[in-house]
Amino acid sequence: MVLEIKKVCKNFGGLSALTDVTFSINQGEIFGLIGPNGAGKTTMFNLITSMFIPTSGEILFNNENINGLKSHVITEKGICRTFQNIRLFPQMTAAENVMVGEHCRSNAGVLRSVFRTKSQRQEETKIRETAEELLEFVGLSDYSEVVSENLAYGQQRRLEIARALASRPELLLLDEPAAGMNETETSDLFDLIKKIQSKDITVLLIEHDMPLVMKLCDRIAVLNFGKKIAEGTPEEIQNHPDVIEAYLGKEEDELYA
Amino acid sequence: MIAELINPYYLQVASFMLINIILGISVYITLSTGQLSLANAGFMGIGAYTSALLTIHFELPIVVGIIAGALVAAICGILIGIPTLRLQGVYLAIVTLGFGEVIRVVFVNWETLTNGSVGISGIPHIGREILSTLQGFGFNPSMLGLQNNQFIFLSIFTLLLLVTIFIIWFFRRQHSSRVGRAFAAIKLDEKAAESMGINITYYKVLAFAQGALVAGFAGAMYAHILAYISPADFAYHRAVEILIFVVFGGSEVIWGPVFGAFFLTLMPEVLRFISEYRYMIYGLIIIIMMAVRPQGLIDVNMLNWFKRKRVKGGHKHGAGNQKGM
Repeated sequence: MVLEIKKVCKNFGGLSALTDVTFSINQGEIFGLIGPNGAGKTTMFNLITSMFIPTSGEILFNNENINGLKSHVITEKGICRTFQNIRLFPQMTAAENVMVGEHCRSNAGVLRSVFRTKSQRQEETKIRETAEELLEFVGLSDYSEVVSENLAYGQQRRLEIARALASRPELLLLDEPAAGMNETETSDLFDLIKKIQSKDITVLLIEHDMPLVMKLCDRIAVLNFGKKIAEGTPEEIQNHPDVIEAYLGKEEDELYA
Repeated sequence: MIAELINPYYLQVASFMLINIILGISVYITLSTGQLSLANAGFMGIGAYTSALLTIHFELPIVVGIIAGALVAAICGILIGIPTLRLQGVYLAIVTLGFGEVIRVVFVNWETLTNGSVGISGIPHIGREILSTLQGFGFNPSMLGLQNNQFIFLSIFTLLLLVTIFIIWFFRRQHSSRVGRAFAAIKLDEKAAESMGINITYYKVLAFAQGALVAGFAGAMYAHILAYISPADFAYHRAVEILIFVVFGGSEVIWGPVFGAFFLTLMPEVLRFISEYRYMIYGLIIIIMMAVRPQGLIDVNMLNWFKRKRVKGGHKHGAGNQKGM
């Protein structure tokens, strides 16, 4: 069990965004988190990465309670995320963005950086090399010196994944990576996420593109109005009556039956 | 020959220009994490008073006084940096501006220590100190064909020039390293930076402390060059003046504040007739810059343009890809 969410609640004032959500993710799987807009999916990501603190409940990462740790500590422990609305460092080049991602896996401080000690120079070379490797991994090696705000939308999404991978996560959280992508880009993304899985990285995925989710995920949890309404394999989810209701609504005659 | 060219007055102006450059850099450092600090005039005052009082009352060597002044300013920087971590943009500017005023009011009212608004005079003069030390080794300025006065100002200028070059070197190197990338990431998107594993608390306080350290150092040097300081030297006017250097020159690259301080210190000296209207002109500059070129005169694109030009001229390859600092 890489990640265990135990009875997590999150209230914003009187509004409860998440109520008693429980699920767990196994090592090496691709786990989908789906649900209609406003169901609390991104809130769940923000809780896992400690951008918010849960009102109650526990979040365990490798059997360790990570509630209330600072976001950067969570990244160090091995959870890294991408954002629904892309949050790259716009004026940095693609390579620099990835190099920032490697921050917590390197340790040169001010003095070593300024006086360029041997260990610092080696570390810096390694950071550069890893960045180039990761850019190649996501298919952006030709764009390493391009300022990231000038990249195309799909490229920015892939760059964000590269930046997250740079922190060498055990668990990668992807928040709607296919949003705004065309069919070719989506199928490239499918290959990329499969490649990430083959590197022994567990993936938690929020996505609205149902064909992609069904093809990609090993298991899926469905949220609606902050509650988990179903969990299971793609086949189970597709035929689950509550899920169909959440997405399509009830049949009229059912309502009055 | 050389002796006739060395005019103490010009050297004095040049020395203040260097101090202003250092002050401009101090704002640039803090700003490179996206934090606008208007407290640097206050940190400058802390450095100046600390060093002045230590050298007068405890007869410590000037070097010790200057280092102590810079360190005390840095500690104050940490103390003000931690509670203001949550503040951004204009709110941080207001708080730091308020802090600067508090410092000035403390200098005015703590009369037993600071002599109030009268100020402190008789601060050991760094140039004379250098001269008397060297004379102790049997050196005499006339050996270089200089008068004592010329030598004093020349030594101050040389010392400041070396220190300024060191500071620019130090922060350019820091900029193109892991620490510099963390600063830039925090400036561009704080939340994303934290999600990427950057300890934003540490780096923001670090930047604040570094800015305060450099401003405190500039203040201590200022005290030992003028030999007289008063609270008015570190008031609101000074804070705005330092800010103008950065606004005018640019805050994206270290050469921005360097150029800003250079140009705006030189301008009133060359154009004597406008020096009375200095603050009016400063105000105009801010308004015009904000409307026309908010990033300041010198920015990354401009440096890259220069680099490309140089690469073309020299038929070099590869260097054009690197982003300027």
